[in-house]
Amino acid sequence: MNTMNSTPNYNDDVVKLFTIATVFWGIVGFTVGVFIALQMAFPALNFGEYFTFGRLRPLHTSAVIFAFGGNALFATSYFSVQRTCRTRLWGDGWSKFTFWGYQIFIVLAAVGYVTGVTQAKEYAEPEWYADLWLTIVWVTYLIVFLMTLKNRQEPHIYVGNWFFLAFIVTVAVLHLANNAAIPVSLFGAKSYPLWGGVQSAMIQWWYGHNAVGFFLTAGFLGIMYYFVPKRAERPIYSYRLSIIHFWSLIFLYIWAGPHHLHYTSLPDWAQTLGATFSIMLWMPSWGGMINGMMTLSGAWHKLREDPVLQFMIISLAFYGMSTFEGPLMSIKTVNALSHYTDWTIGHVHAGALGWVGFITFGALYHLVPILWKKQALYSMRLVSIHLWIATTGIVLYIVAMWFGGITQGLMWRSYDSMGFLEFSFVETVMAMHIPYVVRALGGGLFLLGALIMAYNLIKTVRGDTVASTISDAEKAHA
Amino acid sequence: MIDWLTNNAGMTGLLFFFSVFVIVSVWAFRPSAKQSIEAHKFIPLRPSQTVEDK
Repeated sequence: MNTMNSTPNYNDDVVKLFTIATVFWGIVGFTVGVFIALQMAFPALNFGEYFTFGRLRPLHTSAVIFAFGGNALFATSYFSVQRTCRTRLWGDGWSKFTFWGYQIFIVLAAVGYVTGVTQAKEYAEPEWYADLWLTIVWVTYLIVFLMTLKNRQEPHIYVGNWFFLAFIVTVAVLHLANNAAIPVSLFGAKSYPLWGGVQSAMIQWWYGHNAVGFFLTAGFLGIMYYFVPKRAERPIYSYRLSIIHFWSLIFLYIWAGPHHLHYTSLPDWAQTLGATFSIMLWMPSWGGMINGMMTLSGAWHKLREDPVLQFMIISLAFYGMSTFEGPLMSIKTVNALSHYTDWTIGHVHAGALGWVGFITFGALYHLVPILWKKQALYSMRLVSIHLWIATTGIVLYIVAMWFGGITQGLMWRSYDSMGFLEFSFVETVMAMHIPYVVRALGGGLFLLGALIMAYNLIKTVRGDTVASTISDAEKAHA
Repeated sequence: MIDWLTNNAGMTGLLFFFSVFVIVSVWAFRPSAKQSIEAHKFIPLRPSQTVEDK
């Protein structure tokens, strides 16, 4: 048994692999995102059958959520569970299997998308053979995580690990329920889902919204609860608030899915239930945001000096903003305007680029020098440049989508004095051209920032460094 | 028993989840446990971390 002062022999090799994969798939996913944004602005960019928007869009969403986000969650959960349990990750071979197994799943899914093999369920497009393979990989991930917790030398399980565990368990349950399907043949890709009609829609959006709630929120809150205190060198603001944050988020999120099915054949009571739980989610979401931000209480000067910490705190600001906007959009009267418009796309990207992207970038900048045993990052100035380019990109993106989405919604519901629709659908498509161009520009800036990050991280791994540009006078002034 | 639960699933579920949440809240915020619970926040910062983690 390790004493509290010894240094356990952590398994960082697998964390390195997942870190490299995170950067690689991030750039792939962002690039495809920029390309499909350009396709929306300039439809002539739809080439042939393999590179049409319909096939590349799930490639983009899966690449950024499951490949970029998923690899980031593997890397950070494996890294922090060892440190907070003060024990080595259980099962070297098994953890390495989760790495290669997960990459095989990503490639299986991606090949399916461009060749037209899909279940046509949003965020659950891979067919049955890929789903079965992911189940094996995911259960292995759960076992590795649980066994590491079991072997812990620290009596208490740190709250960050609660969030990671909730993410792993819930995603497993969601994946199994939503992908229950019967293959047409043993050697064919096609299958039919077990569920039908409105039940199928309800299960799909129970899955879909909790992919947001547990994959993109609970998992990344696990990152926040470890990496923000580490970077700030201060404990989380309130541990008791983190306990309430955890249980309220877990209890509420699972019920919010029906807000994706407002004004459909889903029973009205279920729609209202989804909206009600979505509105209640304001409280835990903002409680968590405040807990993260207030960690800097009494040490705000660190935010001025450290662009990595700026990434983390700005990510919390975007988390707060998107978790305010989400409940607002779930209110039925607001949803009557926003549903099916690009406002929804803007909302998703405020969370995906601002919260998920930025907390991941912050964690990567913190992780890479530690994993490759370097004194510091190659260039803090490049981190700062990345931060501001990406922030500008996100602002352009979400403002364009607010403007465009609300325009769409208002045009769709405009009637003339005779009771006829005032605009044809194609007129509403044409009205979106400028917002789509601005959106592509914003996405392009976000991609440029990620390329700068990749360059900075590669230079860091190689051992190059440049001097900090923050003067002592500036620090003293802070 | 099962029939009763089936007929009253909504209210039973609501009361169950609400009760669990209230119990968790009271447990976490009871004044006598403030110091011992808040002490867990230092887990990521304790010095048994490897040197390069600091």
